[in-house]
Amino acid sequence: MSKRKDKEKVFEIKWKTDLPYRYSIGKLAVKFFEELKNNKKILGSKCPKCGKVHFPPRGVCADCLVEMTLDDMVDLSPRGTLAGFTVVNYPFVDPNTGGMRPFPYGYAIFKLDGADTYTMHFLDEIDHTKMRVGQRVEAVFKEERQGNIDDIPYFRIIKEEE
Amino acid sequence: MPKNDVAVVGIGQTKFRSKRRDVNIPEMIYEAAKMALDDAKIEPKDIDAIIIGNMDHFEGINFSELWCGIDAAPGYLKPVVKVATGGTTGSSLAICGYYNVASGIYNKVLVIGWEKLNEGGATTGIITAFDPVWERPSLAGALGPLALMANTYAAKYGITPEQAAKVTVKNRSNAANNPFAHLQMPNITVDYVMSSQMISYPLRLHDCCPQSEGACAIIYANEEETKKVTDNPAWIQSVATAHYYTFGTDTIMFDLPSAAIASKEAYRKAGIKDPVKDLDVAEIYEPTSWSELSWTESLGFCKSGEGGKILDEGITQMGGELPVNPSGGVLSTNPIGATALVRVAEAAIQVMGRGGKRQVPDVEKALSMGFGGSLWTEILILGKEPKR
Amino acid sequence: MGEEIEKKVFRGRIKVPYKHTSGAYVEKFITYIGKNHKIMGVKCPKCNKVFIPPKMICFECFEKMEEWVEVGNIGTITGFTVITHSTPVLPLEPPFAYARIRLEGADTDFVHLIKESDPSKLKIGMKVEAVFKEKPRKRILDIEYFQPI
Repeated sequence: MSKRKDKEKVFEIKWKTDLPYRYSIGKLAVKFFEELKNNKKILGSKCPKCGKVHFPPRGVCADCLVEMTLDDMVDLSPRGTLAGFTVVNYPFVDPNTGGMRPFPYGYAIFKLDGADTYTMHFLDEIDHTKMRVGQRVEAVFKEERQGNIDDIPYFRIIKEEE
Repeated sequence: MPKNDVAVVGIGQTKFRSKRRDVNIPEMIYEAAKMALDDAKIEPKDIDAIIIGNMDHFEGINFSELWCGIDAAPGYLKPVVKVATGGTTGSSLAICGYYNVASGIYNKVLVIGWEKLNEGGATTGIITAFDPVWERPSLAGALGPLALMANTYAAKYGITPEQAAKVTVKNRSNAANNPFAHLQMPNITVDYVMSSQMISYPLRLHDCCPQSEGACAIIYANEEETKKVTDNPAWIQSVATAHYYTFGTDTIMFDLPSAAIASKEAYRKAGIKDPVKDLDVAEIYEPTSWSELSWTESLGFCKSGEGGKILDEGITQMGGELPVNPSGGVLSTNPIGATALVRVAEAAIQVMGRGGKRQVPDVEKALSMGFGGSLWTEILILGKEPKR
Repeated sequence: MGEEIEKKVFRGRIKVPYKHTSGAYVEKFITYIGKNHKIMGVKCPKCNKVFIPPKMICFECFEKMEEWVEVGNIGTITGFTVITHSTPVLPLEPPFAYARIRLEGADTDFVHLIKESDPSKLKIGMKVEAVFKEKPRKRILDIEYFQPI
C-alpha cells in the first residue's frame, strides 16, 4: 500500500474556507429568541388550521401550507420526554468554528410538553447506560443569555427522585 | 403518463477507494463517463444532454458542474444540468435523466454522479447543509441522527446490536463479489463488527458506511435508440420520489415514512403487488446496518419489527427469495453524490445479467433506492420489459 | 437601526478545511515551471490544439491528451484589465494588470499578471515574457509575472 502511495503523484492544495454570513431568521425566530433571552421562555408556533404545535417555531405549516404568525406562537414547557439518545464519539471539524468539536457529547431526540414535533439537542450525559427512552428531560438555561440557541446549552435528565 | 419508454444502455463505475490521489475531479469523473460511453458504444458527440451531480460542500468548489460537465463529460455546447439533493443525489440524477428522455425532449442522456468525499470531510460538509440557527450547533453530521434512529428503532422493537451486525456481515461479504466496491470483506464476522469502536451509541464503526471517492455514470436511451445500441437493456418501469419535513425530527424517526410512500407508488406503477414475490433483487440505501433492518420494513418487504427476521430466515441473503444489496450496498461503498446512482447501476447490472459473481439468478425486476436530505426517499424499479 | 437589523439576523460562519487533489497534469505543469523555467502544454491527438494550462481531456473532441509540448515563455496580450486599488490580498503592488496571454505555440489563452508601472503603455497585441520566481513554491505564482518586452 505505501509503495503505491509513493508512485502516485500527490499534488494537493490546502485551504480553509472562512465565509461570514448574516442569515435572516424570520419574525417568529426573532420573537422566540427575545422571549428566551428576556423571560427564559420557550415558544412554539401552532398552525391555525390543523392545530399542530411546531418546535422550532416556523412561518409555514408544511402539512397545510398555511402561514403561522406571531399571534400563533404558544408557550411550551421547558420539560419533555426522551424518545432516543446517543453519545457522539467521533472526531470531526465543526464548520461553525473551523476546529474540532469536543467529543464525546450526549445528543438526544425528545418532545417538549405541548409540542407535536420532536427536537434534537445536546444532552448533559455521556454514559449511554444511564439513558433510557421515556426519561423526563429539562432545558438548562444560561444565566447570562445572548438571544441564540446557545442560551439553552443542553438538556438534562430529570432524576427519578426529583 | 410518460411519453417514451426509457432504458439503461450503458454503465460505468470507478473502483471506489478511500482517497483517489492519482486524479483530480474531472479526471476521476472521466473514467466513469468514458466507461459508460464505451459500454453503450455511443459516440460522445451523440449524447444529447448531461445530468451531473455531487454535493459541493464536500469538495469546497461551488458550481462544480461549470468545469466537470465540460472537462469530464461531452457537455461542450450541450445542455448540462446539475442535481444536488444530499444522499438522494444519485437517485435524483437517475430520475431527472429518466424524465428528460421519457418526456421526449432528449433521446440519449448521460447521467453522472460523483464525489471526492475526503477532500473536505463528510460530517463537516453535511452540517453546513442544515439550519444555521437551530441545527448546526449540535448536529453531528449524518451519523448523529442515524444513531438516534437506530436507538429509537431498537427501543421500539427490542432489536439487538448482534442483529444489526449481521447486516454488515452480509453486505461486506457480498461486496467481495463486486470488483468496484470499496470495502470488500469476504471473511467478516459478527464478532469483528461487535468489537469495533462505539462511534455513536448504538452505532459501532462497522455498523456505519465508509467515506469513498469515485464516480458512476449511466446512459439512458428511448426505445428507438435503445434498439440501435443493445439487445440487453434494463428498462425503467417506474420511479417515485417522496420528500419529507424540513426538520427530519418533526416526527419520531424509528422508520422511514417517505420510503413507505415512495415504494407504494413505485410498486403500483410497476404492477408490483407483493414486493418479496414480485421483485427478484433489491439495491437499497443503507447508511448503517440498523437502517437496512428498519427500512426493509418501510419498503414493505416484511411487517414492522421483522427486518431482522427476514435476514435470519435467509430471505434477504444471497440465494434467498429477495437478495438485498448483492453489490455490498452503502455499507461497503459510499461516495455520497454517486451512492444512490450506484444502486440504480447495480440494479441495471442485475437485470442485464452482467453481475458476474454477484449476479442473482433470473432477475426480471429489480428495485433501487436512494435516501438522504431530511429523510427523503426515491425509488426506481427496473426490469427486463418496458411495460409492466 | 443597526440594533434592529442585528436582532433579525444570525451571524454565522462556514469554516471548513479542504485538501484538493489537483492531479498529475497540474503537478507536471507546475514542476516544470519551478524546476526548468519552462511552460508545458498538452496536445489533442485529434484536433491538434495545444492547451495551456494542461488538462486530461480535450473538451471538443472528448479525447485523452498525452502528448506534452513546450510552449514559449513569450506570448501576446489578447486582453487585459488594470488594477489600481490596493488591498492586502493582491499578488503585486498596484498598478498592475491581469491579462489573457497567448503563449507561442498554444491554442488557448492563459491568464496571468503583467508587471508594468506605466499601464498606459499596455496594448493588445504587445509581446510579454515570463519572469520566474527565484525559489519555486509549487504554485502558479512560480511564474511571478509577465513583463513587456
